[in-house]
Amino acid sequence: MIHATTSGPEQTRELAAAIAQLVKSGDVVLLAGELGAGKTCFTQGFGRALGIEETITSPTFTLMRPYEGRLRLLHADVYRLEHLQEIVDLGIGELVDDDAVAVIEWGDMAEPVLPADFLEVRITYDDDPNSDEAVSDEVRMFDLRIVGASWGNRTVALQRALVPWVTGP
Amino acid sequence: MIVLGIESATAQVGCALGGVEGVFASFHASRGRRHAETLVPAIEFVCRSARIEFREISVVAVDIGPGLFTGLRVGIATAKAMASALRVPVIGMSSLDLLAHQVRHSPRLIVPVIDARRGEVFSATYRHVQGGIQRLSDPKVGTAAELANDLRATNSESLLIGDGAIRYASELAEEGAKVEIGSVGMQWPSAGDLVELAHPRALREEFIQPSELQPLYLRKADAEINWEQRSA
Repeated sequence: MIHATTSGPEQTRELAAAIAQLVKSGDVVLLAGELGAGKTCFTQGFGRALGIEETITSPTFTLMRPYEGRLRLLHADVYRLEHLQEIVDLGIGELVDDDAVAVIEWGDMAEPVLPADFLEVRITYDDDPNSDEAVSDEVRMFDLRIVGASWGNRTVALQRALVPWVTGP
Repeated sequence: MIVLGIESATAQVGCALGGVEGVFASFHASRGRRHAETLVPAIEFVCRSARIEFREISVVAVDIGPGLFTGLRVGIATAKAMASALRVPVIGMSSLDLLAHQVRHSPRLIVPVIDARRGEVFSATYRHVQGGIQRLSDPKVGTAAELANDLRATNSESLLIGDGAIRYASELAEEGAKVEIGSVGMQWPSAGDLVELAHPRALREEFIQPSELQPLYLRKADAEINWEQRSA
């Protein structure tokens, strides 16, 4: 587990870009976090680092959208789905096999039907209005969970890439 | 009786038209992965080439997999739409049966192997019988290494055919294994074979209504997404 913190959307994009520098064909990144946590913001930074010039928007209603970059980015969102078979039907596993990477919003819900080989990025924020005013509502906490050998081999590289934002072991 | 065959379960997309005399016209493209954009113009092309009007088609046959989701969706949706519009029934056929059909005269254990991506393959075993082939095992999905183990356990001379067999040839046909890999020319299911196999079934009225057509899924997920657990 790697923990990181960013102070606002632009830093979140930079953190995502640092992760994107390490991705290769076939990778799957799961994004977890409540509405407004910054999952789409993360994907924008991620896509920018892959050389995607098109504007990346939330795919909630299109389910999945491909963008052409250094690698093809498949940006998916399972929020509107109800049945695990619908996630299987998206065919994400087979699509990333063709020089692509997938970023799946609400991807933690898809875990039961995905191969056990992915990076999960959980984004949280302090949404308690009575909390310490010193913590800006733009601050985001990131918990990175690595599953499988493919990302496992890149753990050290990930830690190095995230040094500017790392907050704990 | 004229049969339209639609085959899009793999990286290849294809279609064919045929009847009692055999295949009239066929089209296949295995590069580009643009099944949705290719299929319907290709159907128009084979109909025009064979001088067949849509209304002369009596049955639509389609490969229902196992295969790649992206391709299967296009093939099955197109088959359903065309059959509904033409008010004709449909026949679904397994991609593995179609591949095995190409080498049906081999005395060896016949093993169609389709690339399921991410290190996995779809496969089943068949053997030659009088007048055709017989399936010996249920279609399954697993890694190439698992299939190699299964084949070693059968201790039979086997002939592996399909894009999965070619992609994982080194794992499947390792030293000492009694395995031969089929040539690249036979790596995809053929829409022509689909028409040829569907025609006698159509004559026997072994067809279903378009609404009943289902893809053959080996990666099943029967549960609802547990959204409640998430908010807890």
